[in-house]
Amino acid sequence: MNDIKINYCSLVDIDFEDRTFPFSYGLLPARLESSIANVGLLQPPLLVAGDQGFKIVCGRRRLEAVRKLTAGAEKISFYLVENRNFKELFRRALWENLALREFNLVETADIYVAALEIFAADEIEKEIMQALKLPVRPRFRQRCQAIVGFTRKLRDLLAVGSIDAETVDLLREWSTDERAALTDLIEETGLRRNKLREVVGRLDDLARRDEVSPREFLSAARKAVLGEDGGLDVELLRGHLKALLYPHLTAAYREFAVLQEKLFWPADLRLEPPPDFEGGDYRLSFTFTDSKEWEKICGKLNAIALEDINELCRRG
Amino acid sequence: MSSVDVDKYSRSLFRPTTVLVEDEAVDYPFAKSILGRLPNAEIVVIKRPTSENLTRLSRQFSSRTTLLLALHRGRFLKACPGTAESYRCCLYQILHLGLGCNIGCSYCVLQGYLNNPFITQFVNLDAAFAELERELERPGVFYRIGTGEFTDSLFMDPLTGLAPRLLDYFGRSKNAVLELKTKSVAIASLLDYPGEIGETIVSWSLNAPRVCEKEEGHAATIEERLTAAALCRQRGYRIGLHFDPLLYFNGWQDEYRQTVAAIFTHLKGDDIIWISIGAFRFMPQVKEVLKANHPQTNITAGEFIRGIDGKQRYFSAVRRQLYRFLVTEIRRYAADVFIYFCMEDQYLWQDTFGFAPVDNQELSDWLNRCCYRFSRRKTPEATGPK
Repeated sequence: MNDIKINYCSLVDIDFEDRTFPFSYGLLPARLESSIANVGLLQPPLLVAGDQGFKIVCGRRRLEAVRKLTAGAEKISFYLVENRNFKELFRRALWENLALREFNLVETADIYVAALEIFAADEIEKEIMQALKLPVRPRFRQRCQAIVGFTRKLRDLLAVGSIDAETVDLLREWSTDERAALTDLIEETGLRRNKLREVVGRLDDLARRDEVSPREFLSAARKAVLGEDGGLDVELLRGHLKALLYPHLTAAYREFAVLQEKLFWPADLRLEPPPDFEGGDYRLSFTFTDSKEWEKICGKLNAIALEDINELCRRG
Repeated sequence: MSSVDVDKYSRSLFRPTTVLVEDEAVDYPFAKSILGRLPNAEIVVIKRPTSENLTRLSRQFSSRTTLLLALHRGRFLKACPGTAESYRCCLYQILHLGLGCNIGCSYCVLQGYLNNPFITQFVNLDAAFAELERELERPGVFYRIGTGEFTDSLFMDPLTGLAPRLLDYFGRSKNAVLELKTKSVAIASLLDYPGEIGETIVSWSLNAPRVCEKEEGHAATIEERLTAAALCRQRGYRIGLHFDPLLYFNGWQDEYRQTVAAIFTHLKGDDIIWISIGAFRFMPQVKEVLKANHPQTNITAGEFIRGIDGKQRYFSAVRRQLYRFLVTEIRRYAADVFIYFCMEDQYLWQDTFGFAPVDNQELSDWLNRCCYRFSRRKTPEATGPK
């Protein structure tokens, strides 16, 4: 490390726009901000001279925090790297960051795609992908490339973990307009992670099944479940999409409920069909607190006609 | 001298330009005979590959044009990976002589199971036959054995010449029948086989014409498959048909009706030993692999529920529609042909046929009796279910 010297500069001398070393993306950690607010920048960042000012090799989040807290007026100390071998600097920054934290999905994607420009194929596979914990399968490469092309809004949601990797794999196939429609929905409803993955999965399946755009389904579903106040109820939306994707199953559950009603099935004897009507195990459950209630339940059970049971188990 | 149009019925669906040969497999006669049929292929001798090495090799050699000749170190005869007792399984046995296939069906479950990217032929046949000898010695046990579970039984038979070798063994077997399952028409070696074919069954996987066109890659057309089936029947083979996977799509009734009608323009009901039916199902993780390998297909986008065995299946009402329709159509032409479900539950058996096997063993017994029924041997209790 003979090529590193301590130096001083003003924040305005740093090229914050440069993303040659794309190791940080997303919100600043509150703990970092509060540390710098209380005791200042203790660990100098690593910078290298560039045409538009110093490029940030390592320490972007620290610098962003200082800039935010001092309105950019601060003079800081930093390590100036004289070595201009970007490949070597990239490696240093990668391992330095890895020693301190986990990368989020956007950072992983940005680093991988930037590394493709700098490293040879075998270096990518043997070092970069292993460092980023990316399996050597096309799906993971495609996922990274898709994330780099996502809009700022989507990348922000990804960086904070509101969207997971499996959802990205579905969105990768969607057009920009389709993704924009989904981003609007996320903003409007606050849909996050698991429920979002379910909604995107169902939209994707419906679109592929009927060979139309997911946007068309989304737009139709919005209209179908829009409340009187113009608000969108996430649970109604999920239910609506489920009914569209599982028409027979939805009808079967509905018929089962109607049949129970028709047969005057006692409300306190909870009868459930087999999950998804698959296999043959019906489930009956009830509660009781003493022998009197038990006797009452037994009376109701004894009163149920066998034909009614046959009818309920007939399954369409 | 061949009895059929060689160009048509000797066409291998696989033409490797490279053959990777495990160093320990090089001297096996079967390996030598395959290499002798590929005079222009590049031959690369490799050490026994680990799964890591296979990944590395797959970047060096295209899995579409590379054949791997290897030794199989495990058991050759395995139980079909049916699903315990949650769905009825016919207790089929698999003779594991090869892996993979290049037909490229979008729905192929092997996409999710195999970690070897290369079409692989095991060449230690002597060990396979020795194991068969030991296994088939068990008294009172009847075996239905197939080679078409992890590969297509005939798609590269013109390269391997494997089918006649199997006929040499099974043609004289007293307590086992061989079923060769295929979507190819590489039957020349079967037709020209000079010896005893015993009760060997040649089976074709069938589907709707649209499914064949859109989802079954390089497979022969339905017409070609049925023509090949008729030729095999003329030669004396029993014919099996497998509607698996049945797919649910707009217009499926007309499409499957066409296929059923086509069957009976080529075959009579008595020519067919059995017809199996199974609706499309897949392990959940296969969905992503399938979408990645076949981005144009939408077969996994339907109304799937999670079955008791963890596989994605059509909802039972959809399966019932498919089954009732297909069984009714088949029965219009062949009232007595034995139809069975592959991996289906009791309820749908009962619902479709009016009877159901009480357990896997009973289903297996029914199928075994089908074999006896066609046998030239006299057997008592040769009464399978109608």
